[in-house]
Amino acid sequence: MRIHVPKDWEIAESAATPEREYRARTRRDFLKMAGIGIAGAFLLRPAARAALAGFPSRANPDYPGTDLKVTPYNLITSYNNFYEFGMDKGDPVGEANQGWKTDPWAIEIRGLARNPGKWDVDDLVKKFGGTEERVYRHRCVEAWSMVVPWDGFPLAKLVDFADPKPEAKYIQFTSFLDPKSAPGQRDESFGWPYVEGLRLDEARNELAFVATGIYGKPIPNQNGAPLRLVTPWKYGFKGIKSIVRVELTSREPFNTWQRLARNEYGFYANVNPSVDHPRWSQASERVIGGGFFSGRQPTLMFNGYEKQVAALYKGLDLARNY
Amino acid sequence: MGILERLLRSRAFVLALIVLPGLWPAWPILGGNPTVLADPSKFLLHHFGFVACILLAVVLSLSPLRILFPKSRLVSALNRYRRTVGVSAFFYALIHLGFQLIHENGWPTFWTDLRKPFLLVGVTTFAILLVLAATSFNAAVRWMGGRRWKNLHRLAYLAAALAAYHQAAARKIFPVQVLWIFVPLAALELARAVIQARNRRGGQVPRSPLKIPARGA
Repeated sequence: MRIHVPKDWEIAESAATPEREYRARTRRDFLKMAGIGIAGAFLLRPAARAALAGFPSRANPDYPGTDLKVTPYNLITSYNNFYEFGMDKGDPVGEANQGWKTDPWAIEIRGLARNPGKWDVDDLVKKFGGTEERVYRHRCVEAWSMVVPWDGFPLAKLVDFADPKPEAKYIQFTSFLDPKSAPGQRDESFGWPYVEGLRLDEARNELAFVATGIYGKPIPNQNGAPLRLVTPWKYGFKGIKSIVRVELTSREPFNTWQRLARNEYGFYANVNPSVDHPRWSQASERVIGGGFFSGRQPTLMFNGYEKQVAALYKGLDLARNY
Repeated sequence: MGILERLLRSRAFVLALIVLPGLWPAWPILGGNPTVLADPSKFLLHHFGFVACILLAVVLSLSPLRILFPKSRLVSALNRYRRTVGVSAFFYALIHLGFQLIHENGWPTFWTDLRKPFLLVGVTTFAILLVLAATSFNAAVRWMGGRRWKNLHRLAYLAAALAAYHQAAARKIFPVQVLWIFVPLAALELARAVIQARNRRGGQVPRSPLKIPARGA
């Protein structure tokens, strides 16, 4: 008999999610999806990727359904901040699917790593033992939020694989650069490619995740195919999309939003209801898909993940290190 | 009289031009556009603010256009409905403010955010438009006297500048691209300043006349 010991950040299995197509995977669903995956591998390229990248995700008993209202798939995949494909949230779903190739995709590990090199994403996912599913809150710095069922692997696995040298203190991520496919990158004022980073201890936190899928399907281009960072206790812009390079460094990475507006966006970007954005309050948030009169819900410290991450910031002035 | 000029002289046509942008959101909402439905109040709030900015830029462009093209019949046709356009900018701003309140879920968040320059500037812009709309009637012009009325209504230029900031500040950064609405207006104003300076040197000072229709007109 399997005894399920819930993780402390997990939410009770009690309530069902509104999205019909989404369920905590049962064994039968798993077998059915595996069948589709294997059959699809011979038919379609996306399906081929799904099979190679370890889809469907294994049902991980540590990460079951949740009492959070999971945001519908069509909203998660059509309300995107991905400035490489336009500044409006409706732009990426169209623009990122006009021939931009995300398969095959290689990711490079370099810097203060004992195991530098370049790897195919599918090979890497297989090496890490496939994917698992996690339902996380997602809070944008613009004061809206979603709940996303991600598939992927813990970032710690990638860090361990890179094997940091002792002097490595940070991890820097770099996104793709392809102005031909990404119209937003023709505007050079942004200083593409997009760069993000974490402290190494943040990267090793159990919540830090690399997503390769949503709702048990390979991650759509507009959400950052084929792999993106997910740090649910930080604002969404930390979740760099379509990563091509991971570099271990001894110096704090200078992330894109900090470069664009240093007085408004910092390196840490931890969700914090008591530290306002200079132009708007962060005390509450709009829930995506809530409808017209849904109102706002209070924003939680570290987006509700205080227990898991607060220790990382002991002694740090969070108002100054926003 | 050309077709365009005849259309622009028709009140019904001008009103339709003003009202239609307000009806436009029905299209993506009823059509089920997921990007719009993700947060409908935000979409409506931005849309109405955007249209208010456009109308403000349009109404302010009319008087430099008249100085630059004094003989154009099209420009003079457009000028007939200046006040209608100006007042409609106020109504769009009013609806925009209403959606902002729905979006913020009532006054509490609104009051907290009012300390930020972003919202304060927006509210100031609205206050200016409110005063200008409230004094837009012929009776108000007569009561204040043409010159005082005109001076007061020059606040519309301040409103446009504030609206430009407010609109850009609604984004995550200040993208200069979103200021395109106000670029033609700035260019027209510059051209007007040049022409007026040149004319003044020639001893001739054309002013944009303020027509106060007679009572009952």
